[in-house]
Formats: sequence, C-alpha cells, structure tokens
Amino acid sequence: MSKDSHIKAYIIGFILSLVFTAIPYYLVVTQAIKGNVLLGAILGFAMAQMLIQIIFFLHLGRNPKLYWQLGFFVATFGAVLVVVAGSLVIISHLHHNMMPQDLTDKIAGEEAVHEIHGEAVGTCPGGTGKVYMINLKNDAASPRHTDAKLCDTIIIYNADSEARDIEFGVHEKHETYAGESGTTLRPGRNMVLTLTELGTHKFHDHLLDDITGDFTVTP
Amino acid sequence: MKEILIGKLNMHALPHEWFTIGGTAAFGALALVAIIIITRMKRWKWLWNEWLTSVDPKKIGIMYFLVAGFMLLRGGLDAIMIWLQQALSVDGSQGYLSADHFQQIFTAHGNIMVFFVAMAFIFGLINYIVPLQIGARDLASPFLNTLGFWLYIGGVIMVNMFFALGGEYAATGWLAIAPLSGKEFSPGVGVDYWIWSLQISGVGTTLAAINFVMTILKMRAPGMTIWKMPLFTWGSLCSMLMAVSVFPLLTATLFLMFFDRYIGTHFFTMSGGGDPMMYTNLIWMWGHPEVYILVIPAFGVFGEIVSTFSRKPIASYTTNVLGMIGVAVMSLSVWLHHFFTMGAGADVNAFFGLMTMIIAIPTSVLVFTWIATMYKGRIKFTVPMLWFLGFIALFTIGGIAGIMLGVPPADFQLHNSLFLVAHFHSNVIGGVLFGIFAGITFWFPKIAGIKLNERIGRNAFWCWITGFCLAFIPMYVLGLMGATRRLDHYSSSTGWQPFYILMLIGGIIIMIGVALQLAQILASIIERKRLVDTTGDPWNGRSLEWSTPSPAPSYNFTVIPTVTTRDAFWEMKKQALPKPQYEDIRIPKNTASGIYISLFAFLAGFGFVWEIVWLWVVSLIAIIVCIVLRTFNDDTEYTLTAAEVQKLEEARQAKAPKPQPASADDADEDEMGIWDLIKIVVAWAWGVVRRREWRKW
Amino acid sequence: MGLGRGTAPGVAQVVAEHKTPIDHEAEASDRVLFGFWVYLMTDLLMFSVLFAVYAVLHGNTAGGPSGRELFSQPIALTETLLLLTSSFTCGIGMIAARLGNKKQVLAWFGVTFALGLAFLGFEIKEFIQFFQEGHTLRSNAFLSSFFTLVGTHGLHITSGLLWMGITLGYVVKRGLNNHLVRKLTLLSLFWHFLDIVWIFIFTIVYLMAFV
Repeated sequence: MSKDSHIKAYIIGFILSLVFTAIPYYLVVTQAIKGNVLLGAILGFAMAQMLIQIIFFLHLGRNPKLYWQLGFFVATFGAVLVVVAGSLVIISHLHHNMMPQDLTDKIAGEEAVHEIHGEAVGTCPGGTGKVYMINLKNDAASPRHTDAKLCDTIIIYNADSEARDIEFGVHEKHETYAGESGTTLRPGRNMVLTLTELGTHKFHDHLLDDITGDFTVTP
Repeated sequence: MKEILIGKLNMHALPHEWFTIGGTAAFGALALVAIIIITRMKRWKWLWNEWLTSVDPKKIGIMYFLVAGFMLLRGGLDAIMIWLQQALSVDGSQGYLSADHFQQIFTAHGNIMVFFVAMAFIFGLINYIVPLQIGARDLASPFLNTLGFWLYIGGVIMVNMFFALGGEYAATGWLAIAPLSGKEFSPGVGVDYWIWSLQISGVGTTLAAINFVMTILKMRAPGMTIWKMPLFTWGSLCSMLMAVSVFPLLTATLFLMFFDRYIGTHFFTMSGGGDPMMYTNLIWMWGHPEVYILVIPAFGVFGEIVSTFSRKPIASYTTNVLGMIGVAVMSLSVWLHHFFTMGAGADVNAFFGLMTMIIAIPTSVLVFTWIATMYKGRIKFTVPMLWFLGFIALFTIGGIAGIMLGVPPADFQLHNSLFLVAHFHSNVIGGVLFGIFAGITFWFPKIAGIKLNERIGRNAFWCWITGFCLAFIPMYVLGLMGATRRLDHYSSSTGWQPFYILMLIGGIIIMIGVALQLAQILASIIERKRLVDTTGDPWNGRSLEWSTPSPAPSYNFTVIPTVTTRDAFWEMKKQALPKPQYEDIRIPKNTASGIYISLFAFLAGFGFVWEIVWLWVVSLIAIIVCIVLRTFNDDTEYTLTAAEVQKLEEARQAKAPKPQPASADDADEDEMGIWDLIKIVVAWAWGVVRRREWRKW
Repeated sequence: MGLGRGTAPGVAQVVAEHKTPIDHEAEASDRVLFGFWVYLMTDLLMFSVLFAVYAVLHGNTAGGPSGRELFSQPIALTETLLLLTSSFTCGIGMIAARLGNKKQVLAWFGVTFALGLAFLGFEIKEFIQFFQEGHTLRSNAFLSSFFTLVGTHGLHITSGLLWMGITLGYVVKRGLNNHLVRKLTLLSLFWHFLDIVWIFIFTIVYLMAFV
C-alpha cells in the first residue's frame, strides 16, 4: 500500500471515529432516546467504531498477508462475547434463584417482606396493631374468616392432636403470603403472620383439605 | 518498623509442625545432595551453560520432564496420605491428620498434579517433539521458551515454599472457591501461596502457549501445509490455541482474588456488594478448557502410536483432526456443568447439560478412528501400545461417567461425590497421564538414544492398570452410595471402610508401578548397549522426527526438508537417499534473562504473600528493567557455518555405534527383568560397601 | 531403513531451500508481529474478565453513589478525544517510520506521547478526586470493578508510554534502523489496541452509567 493511501486510511478512520464517538455521547447527554434502546444504540456505535479502527488503523482485512491476524481477532472477539454475555446470563439466573445478602435485603424492602430467617426486615418491623387468633380445632379453622388491618398480626394455632400443614391459596394451587410459604404445625405449635400484603388471602391444610379459611387485609 | 522490613513474616512462620519440619528437611536434604554431587563433579559451569541458560527446546523439554517427574512423586505422596487417612479414620479414630491438614493435602495434590505435573509433561513433549515433527530447528521465540520454563520453576518453588515459611497451604480445594478463599475465612498465607504459585506459572504457560502457536503456524517445513501436519502437532496446536484463549481468564481472576485479599476490594466478598458466585463462574470458565488442554495433546500422542504400531496410516486423518478441533472449540461452552447445583435454574442447566453431552460426540469419533486404525493392521504390542489400550478402557469408562454427570438431575445427586472424583481421575490418569507415559516411552529413543526396557515396562503398565482399577472402581460405587469427596472422617455405619481400604491397596499398587517405571529407566541405562537406537528410526516411524539421528543434534536438521505428503518420513523412506547437504545455521544464543526475570517474579510474589512492600516494588521494577534490556538486545544469535556443521556431523557419525542385526530388536528373552535389576543393584551396593568405594566420592 | 548414527548420513531432502539473510529477517519480523498480535488477543481476554465483572457488579453500590452520580461526562469525552487523536498521530508516525524519516517519527510520536500523558493526567486526577471524596476500591463492588477495569487500562497506557519513551530515546541515539522500526510497529499495534479497549470502557462504564 502506498504512503498516500495509508494516510488517507488514517484520516478517514480518525474522522469516522470522531463521528462515532460524538453521536452516542450526544444521545446519552440529551437522552434523545432512552432505556434499552439507548443501551443498544451506544453498544452498536461502539462495535462500529471498533470495526472502523480495526480496518483503518490496524489495516486488518485489507492485506491478504494478515488473514491469520483477522482470524485470531474474530475468534478472540467470539470468546470475549462468551465470557461477558455468558457471565451476565448465568449470574442473572443465579441471582434470581440464589441472592446474596445485599440484594436480598433490597428485594425484601421492595416487596414488603416482613421477616427473613427470624430477622425483622422491611415494612412493619416487629408487627404492630391487633393480634387475631385463628385456632385449628376439631378439623376446622375457627374463625374461618378474619378481617384485619395492614400491619396487624394473625396467629394460627394448632389446637388439634394431629399435625397440620398450613399452606396459602387453594389446594393444589399454592401461593405465598408476604414472602412466606406455608409451614407444618405440630400439635400445640403456632404460626405468626404479620399482615404486610393487602387483599383477601386463602389458606388450607394441605394434609386434610377440608380445613380451609381466609383473611382479608385492608389499609 | 519490622513490618516495613519483613511484612507479616515472624518467628511463627518458621517450620514447627511435623510435616513442615519434615518437608523442609526433605527438600533441604535433596538440595544438599544435589549441590554436593555437582560440586564434586565440578559441573556448575557445565550445568549453567549447557542446561540452565539453554534455549534449545530439546534441553528445556528434558528439564520439564525431570521437574514434572519429581512433582509427580510429590503429588503422589499427597495421594497416599489421603488414602491412608481415609482408610484409618472411622468412628472413634481421627486418623493421623487433622482436618485442616487433610484439607491442605488434597488442595496441594490437585494443584500439583494439574499445574506442575500434567502441564509440565505436556510442555516437555511439545517442546521436544513438535519442532522435529514440523521440520523446524527451534521454537519461534527461544527467549519466551526459557522464560516460560523458569516461570514454571518459580511456581514450583512457590507451591512448596510454605514448608519452610508459613506452615500452611490453602485448605480450600484445588480451585479455592470464594468466599472460603477470601480473607475472612482464610486469613493465613496459604491461599496467597496458592494464588502466586498459579499466577507465576500461569503467565509462563500463556507465554509458552503463544510461542507454540507461533511455531506451529509459522515455522513448518516448506510443503507441509496444515493438513499434512502429524497428529501430535495437530493436538498440540488445538491445545495451545485453547491455552492462549483461557489462561488470560485465570490470570485476571487470580488478580481479582488477590485484590480482595490484599487491598480489600469487594469482587467476591459476601459484603459490600461482592458476588462469590461470580468467582465460581470465572474460575470454571478457565478450569474446564484446562482439562481439555491437558488431554488433547494426549489424543495426538495416541494417534501417532496407534498408526505406527498398527503399521497403517491413521484410519481417517481428516476425521481425527476435525474431532480434535471439535473438542477444542466446544470445550469453551460447557463450563457451567461444574456448578449445576449452584442454582442457575433449569433453563441454564439444560443448555450446558446438552452441550456437555454433545461434546462426547467428537471425543467418541476420535476413539473410533483409533480403533479403526487398528482394524486389519499388523499390530505390534509394544509398551506404548499397551498404554494406548489401557487409555481406551479407562478413558471410555471415565467419559461415560462424565455423560452421567452431565445430566443435571443426576448431577444433583452425584455432584462433589466420590463418583465425580473417580470420573475425573479416570479421564486424567487414563487419558493425560497414560498419554504422557506412552509418549515418553515412544519417543524415549529419540530423546535419549536408547529404547526403554520392554519387560519392566510391561510390568509397570500392569501394576498401573490393576492399581488404578482397585483404587478407582470402588470409588464409583462409593459415590453412588452417597460418599462425599474430601471426607477426612466418617462413621462405620456407612459401610464404606472396606472400600477405602481397597482403594488404599490400589494406591499402593500404583506406587509399585511408579517404582517399576523408575526401575525401567535404570535398567535401560544399564542395558544401553543392547537397547541403543542406531538408526534414529527404531519403530519404523512415519513422521519427520524419526528422520533425525537419536538423540537429535542441537540444530535438529542439517537442511530443512521439503515435504510433499502426510506421514512425510514414510514417503521419504521409499525414495533413494540423497547425499548429505550442509548450510549455514543461525543458532540462538543461551540467555540467563529467563532465569533473572523469573527470580524477580518469584520475589515479587513472595513480597505479595507476606506483604513486604519494598520487595515487590523493587522486584517489579527489576522485571521491567530485565525485559527492556533483553528486548533491546540485538545480539541474540550466532551462525554455525556449513563447514562447522559438516565437521560436527562427521564427528558424530564416527563416534556412533554400529547398527545391530535386526533380530536383536525382537529378542527379549534375554531382556532384563525386575528381579535381574534388583540383583544387579544389590550386588553393586554390596560391592561399594565391601570395598569402601564410598570413600572416593 | 532409518538414517542417523552409523548408516547413511543426512536426511532425505528433496530440495534445500537457501535463505538469504534478508529473507531470514523478513520471516523473523513477520513471526514477531504475529506473536505480538496473539499476545494482544490474550490481553483482550484478560480485559474481557474485567468487563464481565464490571457488567455483573456495577449495580452493587452497597448504598453508595452509582456511576451516574460520580462520573463527569465532559471529562470522559475529553479523555476519549485525547486518546483517539493520539492513536491517529501514532498511525501517521508509523508511516514516517516506514519511510525512514527520523525527524517526522520523533515529531509525530512525540505528539502521541504528549496526548497519552494528558489522557493519563485526566484519569489520575479523576481517581484522586474520588479517593478524596471517600470513594475507594474498598468501598463497594461497583467501585472495586470500576477502578480495576479503568486502572488496568491506565496501567497499560503507562507501560505504552514507558515503551515509547525508551524506543524514541534509542531512535535519537542509534537512528532509525530495521529493529527500531519493528519495535515501533509493535508499539503502534499496542497503542491502537488500547484505544479500541477504551472505546468499550467509554461506552460501558461512562456512557452506560447515564442510560
């Protein structure tokens, strides 16, 4: 390649790079587009500028003698994508299932979860307001229906002589309440619920699904 | 003030436990004996000039073998200690090792075997054989070659340093998963030694891998296109391309772990937003390709051996090569199978489980091409061929176990059980180690000029395979019964003790096999007149390395050959021999820069371990200075004129022994057996004692 | 039928290729260039780990300020423009080197050096400002990964400047010979590579913080 074509290549590359730097910068500063579209745009411009610099500054792809280098670069770039994208995908899946402490605290705060592993956290710490008792006696829940206010407490007590597995929702379609799934109550044990979620919620005994009940939480 | 001078070093760091005192004493004694022998024989200058500063890949290859062999014994000792503990520590008995010590032993065992034995043997083979196979005189960068070797030595010293100073190694498992390896849970220097031994030798590996890739891609003989390269060269190329891709990942991850421990960053900590799971993710991104880096050259070795001893070209060259490439490329997409149970969920697990199973396809294609090569061949069951057959059996068993483990629901049961341990040992021992043994036996005549004693070699093989089956088949069973790995103590109600005892016996038989291998070398040296390789081509080989004398001269070839086909030497043998030709040869000069840079790298690592700031600052600056001095040094080669080459060649031929009649190769009734060797050694020792010859030493 | 000790000497060659010293030089140059390129690829992979870690951890501020609150967009743009221009002047300097023009080499690489130094100056100033405000490597995972990623790039730039200084010194002392032109070629590869990495740092660290 002659000296002139070389200089031209560098000048073209330089000007294009300037343009491809200015545009994403401008887009971000003015927030002309937002969110994932903006993210995609700036990443796209970055890739484009990388290609420009590879072609015009590093002369890859224009010199048949440098084909090995081009091959190596493509392979490396592929590996880089695997490392970065692979890590992002895997870690986001892991976080969804197995969160470290900080994130757990954050989500607990956001979803109004009251207690985790015995530690009070989130809204209504410690529980405030009235306490309502629901007794499981003679194969029935009494009272079957309870009305309560937000941040009140319900205690479900197993007064029978058999174990009860209290789950939320209806039988075969279990739900959670305030981050808690149900639990097995041996005779004489109880379950304490701080009412941090609004609405009407059902519960039942998973072992003897005749036993059902519900409670309504209003603000 | 003391802290500025010697960092965290204190009196407590000196050896004060039985194993640190023992280890320091053992290494010290060995070093002392070596120093005494070299001094008495007045060989210091020779050692420095001929070996330590050499840039000849053949010499560097031999040095790799020697150190790797020594580390094999060191790692094997760890294995025996583990087996012994597990056979003894049932119910009330605590065995003879504390829990913490036991954890350090299995950590060291894993590190040493993977990094300082397997990688080193592979690098030794590639160094010696690949230039000969492609018709080159040297590697692309002789300087990087010696630098890579000495950085490896720096790692070897670092991983053993704790005996003398520090008293503890990492007790975290061979990959030191976070957060157990963080400062909070491993406050001592053990994990720091772990980090720096791997970091220093890892950089050496990366540089050596770059060198090998450059050599294979740019320095082949004229006419040798990439589709005419021998299989071992192909295996080395695939493996070294992978090494170039993934060792930087290890380097970066180790730095991040180091920063967490030394500076207090929050990459993998449990607080401050750190994510320990990211460490597991990153380390296995390196860790999985690493095991394929180890085994693909072994695949190449076996391809050479099976075609040479079946006296047929490999059944399908293209299929075999594509198989190796396939395994190499796909190995970068399976790493999550090492942590299915960490909780990424069914979608992610399913993808990686599928990829793990798919990678079995090219691997089995390779096995079928080797077996197809044997079909209708005229097979000669030499010792390398025995190692190959053992490999087929063990590697396949291990591979099938691997497929089972690759099914995520099954893995939830088998993860970190002894089933896993049996699986990877089947593949690493059956694949990598047997490949190394086969390769060394196969190329021993080329390296040393003599063949190895076949009879004791066969004994060694049978001990290895019997011992292996006894040691690891019960391990599969134990794993399925629920035994976890890394247990230092268990209850007799599990019913496991008989199995552990069986495994210990298997381990002892393996050790007998190792002793027999050492005996094999000794016997071959004693019998060297009978075993000498006079032609350079003792096995009727197919590739270019067999066209050189045994051992090859430092410049490999007097004139670089031109190649026209695969199995280049096989074709050349069919033609008439031309007259010898000579030309000027550029030979790289020896250099000590590799030694100096590695020395400062070791000192920097030591400074990081013990937080001696001035030491690592000075050492890092010294490394930069050494590199600058070396790269701006233009005077790195000298020329051997054609006349000088001719004189050397004629002198060598004059000294060479006369060729033996062909029948001597096949007659092994009078071959030395192990009992013959023992009688000879005992007689020699008795003679020395009786005639008080030891006074002369 | 082997060849070696005692029997027919030499190797079954068909043709002996005679390499002239110039061929040898050219081959060696080509090899070194190729090897250095492979090394750059390993460096890129090291950076990929740092990028992956930043991408995963950049949200973990443990209650502290995020990039949006800390970064200055104009400074990031300035650094980008400085480095980009230095990459351009480096390229022009290489053309001069291949033409053997010592004065132009010193001029253009001198400008490259100055621009690189200015880039470093801005970066160091930014780091010091963060430290003084109490935002250090040890504060949280976001800052750990920020400082490590950007700092590693800065260390590479520093090495490049050191390399440039020493090489230019040799050019002054020994004049432009083949070896020095080869060194400058490798250096310019390194420098362009660092600018490419910076594109991604600029985008993923500084721009993405404001998305």
